[in-house]
Amino acid sequence: MNVASRLPDSAAAALADRPATSAKPPFLGFGLGLRHQHYDEILGGNPPIDWFEVISENYMLPGGQPLRTLDRICERYPVVMHGVSMSIASTAPPNFEYLQALKDLAGRVEPKWVSDHLCWTGVHGKNLHDLLPIPYTKEALDHVVSRVQLVQDFLGRAIALENVSTYVQFNNSEMTEWEFLSELSRRSGCWLLFDVNNVYVSAFNHGYDPMTFLNGIPADRVVQFHMAGHSHMGTHIIDTHDHPVCDDVWELYAAALKRFGRVSTMIERDDNIPPLDELVAEIARTREMAEKILPAKQTE
Amino acid sequence: MSDFARQQAEFQRGILDGDDTVLSEILDSPREKRETLFGVYRYAYGSRLVEAMRNDHELLHLYLGDEMFDEMGHAYVKARPSAHPNLRWFSQGLPAFLKSTEPYATHIELSDLAALEKALNDAFDAAEGRVVELNDMTGFAPEAWSGLKFQPHPSASRLDLATSASAIWLALKNDETPPDAVALEQPAHLLIWRQDVTPMFRELPAEEAMMWDEAANGIPFGVLCEMLATYDDPDSTAGRGAGYLHGWITAGLLTDVSVGS
Repeated sequence: MNVASRLPDSAAAALADRPATSAKPPFLGFGLGLRHQHYDEILGGNPPIDWFEVISENYMLPGGQPLRTLDRICERYPVVMHGVSMSIASTAPPNFEYLQALKDLAGRVEPKWVSDHLCWTGVHGKNLHDLLPIPYTKEALDHVVSRVQLVQDFLGRAIALENVSTYVQFNNSEMTEWEFLSELSRRSGCWLLFDVNNVYVSAFNHGYDPMTFLNGIPADRVVQFHMAGHSHMGTHIIDTHDHPVCDDVWELYAAALKRFGRVSTMIERDDNIPPLDELVAEIARTREMAEKILPAKQTE
Repeated sequence: MSDFARQQAEFQRGILDGDDTVLSEILDSPREKRETLFGVYRYAYGSRLVEAMRNDHELLHLYLGDEMFDEMGHAYVKARPSAHPNLRWFSQGLPAFLKSTEPYATHIELSDLAALEKALNDAFDAAEGRVVELNDMTGFAPEAWSGLKFQPHPSASRLDLATSASAIWLALKNDETPPDAVALEQPAHLLIWRQDVTPMFRELPAEEAMMWDEAANGIPFGVLCEMLATYDDPDSTAGRGAGYLHGWITAGLLTDVSVGS
């Protein structure tokens, strides 16, 4: 039951849909997901990377080298925090200890924004450490809207949520994923992290046109693009983040630029981590494509 | 329970227990059957957690080899599902699991090796703390020394091993063939800590281990020296105690020294 439905009308109206009114985060340019394999090269050189996204959980630690390195990165670059464990769509009670640790880290990092995924990671006290799919139902939408509002109130900031790669669809879904995301963003005020690769993966896995997804997302709510690689299994694609970005995803990125305009973009590699140069070359390509497709003033 | 909550519980049971109930609520894709697609989540669950264990226990993995480590890892995943949102803490229970679960419990060095790796991992990202320098000690008047109390650095911990696991660890770390595992007549007393950003460990004589443990309990230096007298030559206890203290300070093992009340 929605808490708001048990309150007097005026209070219920105030607590129902409360889109955050925070200003849209700034355009950061073309960045990279920070991985420990590249710490020395980044801090010892001056690679052409505009900003970094850090995995929040990797730094939700008492101390030591990871946090010391993060402090040094934050001194030099704009940073955004990207989590994998918020479990925003879980029907279990929120983990407030986790949220407090996330808030504490945000206090230290002062990120340009904080993001996680539209997914759940476990119920009944267990954590499966995966980005699990949800049915796109009105019930699920109401639940996730209320959770996003709660988390935003707790953290004191609007969050961004990413579309995940999915391998299954539920037969009780009442709307499409892009309708769900659009409505979630409109009602809760959360921003959207548009993972271009994930759109491609899910579209292939479920047999729809990725352009339909792309055109169904409200352009003014998107604050970040993820670009990544995947593993093609023939009948389905697995979102492994261990390969370079493929041609089809570059093509979808071009379409995303045309629809969404100037959006902070980054290369995300989680496994089979290559030398920094290879990723810098992919970042350069995101920049070149944006400069080619968008009017000059938009990519400055 | 709402439909949404019921569906999540079924989905989770499908992954953890192999229960197929949730499949009736999942669609086939245009190219693949739902069993195969749901299988992506089933496979990813175990493999992701075992991969995390490989990262946390690099030398135990080397010692056991891929096949045995993965078999052990999947047994651990099954026995102790993760309850923490951060994967960093998933393998914390591995030493206890290896100590209490056959066939691993028979090979007692496995639990010790895992405990040593866990202690080093914990030192790596332990809380920061001030490091006491030798110069800090010059401020104490000679008559104050017997009352000095010592606070260990937050990264410091003690571990007693019943086997030759530390020798096995060292050999594996140096890409050498590990020695045969043996049960020790007396436990090996290890002190683990982080120096700057590097986790370290060293083996302590029995009396130094006792002195460290009691110092960490708040026993003042004068009493520690009296306790040392019960271990070896009573006439040299002050010198031995001062020597151990010097070693702790130069290694960055103390975060505070104060005159006790």
